[in-house]
Amino acid sequence: MEIINAFAVSLQAVWMNSGFSAFTAGNAAMILVGFVLLYFAFVKEYEPLLLSPIAFGCILANFPNTGFFDEMGVMKAINFGIQYEIFPPLIFLGVGAMTDFGPLLANPSTILLGAAAQIGVFAALVGAMCLGFTAKQAGAIGIIGGADGPTAIYLSVQMAPELLGAIAVAAYSYMSLVPLIQPPVMKLLTTQKERATVMEQLRPVTKFERIIFPIICTIVIGLLLPPIAALLGMLMLGNLFRESGVTDRLSDTAQNSLCNIVTIFLALGTGMTMSAEKFLTIQTIEIICLGLFAFIMGTAGGVIFGKLMYWASGHKINPLIGSAGVSAVPMAARVSQVVGLKANPRNYLLMHAMGPNVAGVIGTAVAAGTMLAMLN
Amino acid sequence: MCYYVYEWNVDEVIFVHEAVTTNPITITLINMTVVFGVLILLSLMIRLIHFIDPTKPKKVEHEVSKPAAPVAETVKPTVADGINEETVAVIMAAIAAYGSGYRVHAIRPAVSTKWRDSGRIMMSDM
Repeated sequence: MEIINAFAVSLQAVWMNSGFSAFTAGNAAMILVGFVLLYFAFVKEYEPLLLSPIAFGCILANFPNTGFFDEMGVMKAINFGIQYEIFPPLIFLGVGAMTDFGPLLANPSTILLGAAAQIGVFAALVGAMCLGFTAKQAGAIGIIGGADGPTAIYLSVQMAPELLGAIAVAAYSYMSLVPLIQPPVMKLLTTQKERATVMEQLRPVTKFERIIFPIICTIVIGLLLPPIAALLGMLMLGNLFRESGVTDRLSDTAQNSLCNIVTIFLALGTGMTMSAEKFLTIQTIEIICLGLFAFIMGTAGGVIFGKLMYWASGHKINPLIGSAGVSAVPMAARVSQVVGLKANPRNYLLMHAMGPNVAGVIGTAVAAGTMLAMLN
Repeated sequence: MCYYVYEWNVDEVIFVHEAVTTNPITITLINMTVVFGVLILLSLMIRLIHFIDPTKPKKVEHEVSKPAAPVAETVKPTVADGINEETVAVIMAAIAAYGSGYRVHAIRPAVSTKWRDSGRIMMSDM
C-alpha cells in the first residue's frame, strides 16, 4: 500500500512539474504560430535566417514551468542581450562591414530619398496614437516602417518592451515581404516614362572618401543624437573595417561569424518574448496592420520624393529608386532594379538604389534617436 | 507645450524629462524636420569630403583641336594578343573616318560588365 501511495504521489509531482499541468489554449495557439513562422522560413524562404530562430523561440516561450528567466542560464543571458541593448549594435557592426556607401558618396543628393521614406514611420505613429497607443508605444510601432530589424528592437526595448515580440515579428515579416508590398505602390505612383528613365553611371569613389565618411558621420550624428551613438557608431566601425583595406580579418569576422552568432541570439531572444499572455492580444493585430501601413506609406513617401527629384533634375533621376529609402538592405534596392528593368530592359538601377537604401538605414537610426530624445 | 518635472529624493535630485509633446502631428513634423536636417547635413559633408579629397583624379583636358604630331603618326598602336591584322585595320579605318586629330594608342578586348555595357549603350544613344 505504501508503495502505491509513493507511486501516486510521485506521479502527481511529475504531473504538477510538467508543462502539461499549466498548458493553456493560448500556449497551443502560439506554438501553432511558431509552426506557421517555421513554414514561412523553411518552405517559403521568407528571411529564413531570422524567422527560424524567432519561430523556435516562440515555441520554447510557450512551454509552461520552464523557469527560463528565473535563474541565470543561457535563456536569461540571451534575454539580457536584448534587454540591455547589446545585440542590435553588434548586428549593426556586421551590417556596417557588409555595407557599401560608395553609391551614396557618388550621388549624395539621393540621401534625401532615405529621409523621405521615413514618413512611413511617422504615418504609423499617428495611426497608432489614433488607435489609443501611448506616444512611446506608437514610436516603437512606427519604427517598423523603417524596415530595419535591429533599430526596431533597439527602440522597442527602450520605449515599449511589452510590445517587443509583436514589433520584431511584424518588422522582420514585412521586410521579407518587401518584393510583394512595394511594386504595386511603385507602379501606382509612377508613369511608364518615369519608370523607364535611365540614370547616368555613378562616378568612381576614392578610398579617401570611403574612409573619411564613416568617421565624419559618427562624429556628426554621435554628437547630435547621443541615444543612437552606440547603434550608428558600430555601423560605421564595421564599415571602417571594410574600407580601410588593412583590417580584412576583422571585417570578415564582423560580417560573418560575429553577425551570424548574434543573429541567432537576437532572433531566438526575440522569439522568446512571444509568450501567449503577451502576444495574443488585440494590440498585436493592430501592430501587424500598422506595420503594413508603415511600409506602404514609407514606399509611397520615397517614390513621391523621387518624382520631385525626377522633375527637379530634368528627368535624370528615376523615381523608382525612392522606394529603396525604406532600408531593408539590399532587398528594397533589388525591388527598384526589378521594377525598373521591367519598364526598360536597359535600365540598371541597382547601384543607384543602393544610395537611398543605405541612407534609409541612417535615416531610420536618426528617426529612432530623435524619438528617444523626444519621447523617452 | 514644453514642461519639466523635478522630483525630490532624500539624497538626490532626480531630473525627469517628460515628453515634449504628445500631439502626433507635432511629433511627426519635428521628427521629419530633424531627419531631413541631419541627412542634408550629411549630404553637405559628403560634398565637402569630395571637395577636399587630395586623391581624386584630376580632370584631363581633351586636345581635340590640336593636330597630332607627325612623329606620332608613325607610332604603331599596342595590339593585344589574339586580335588579327584585319580587325586592327577595320578599327583604324573607323577611327580615321572621324577625321584628323585622333590617334589609336592601343587595341585590346573590352572587359564586359553589365554596368559598362549600359554605359556604352547610353553613349551610343547620344
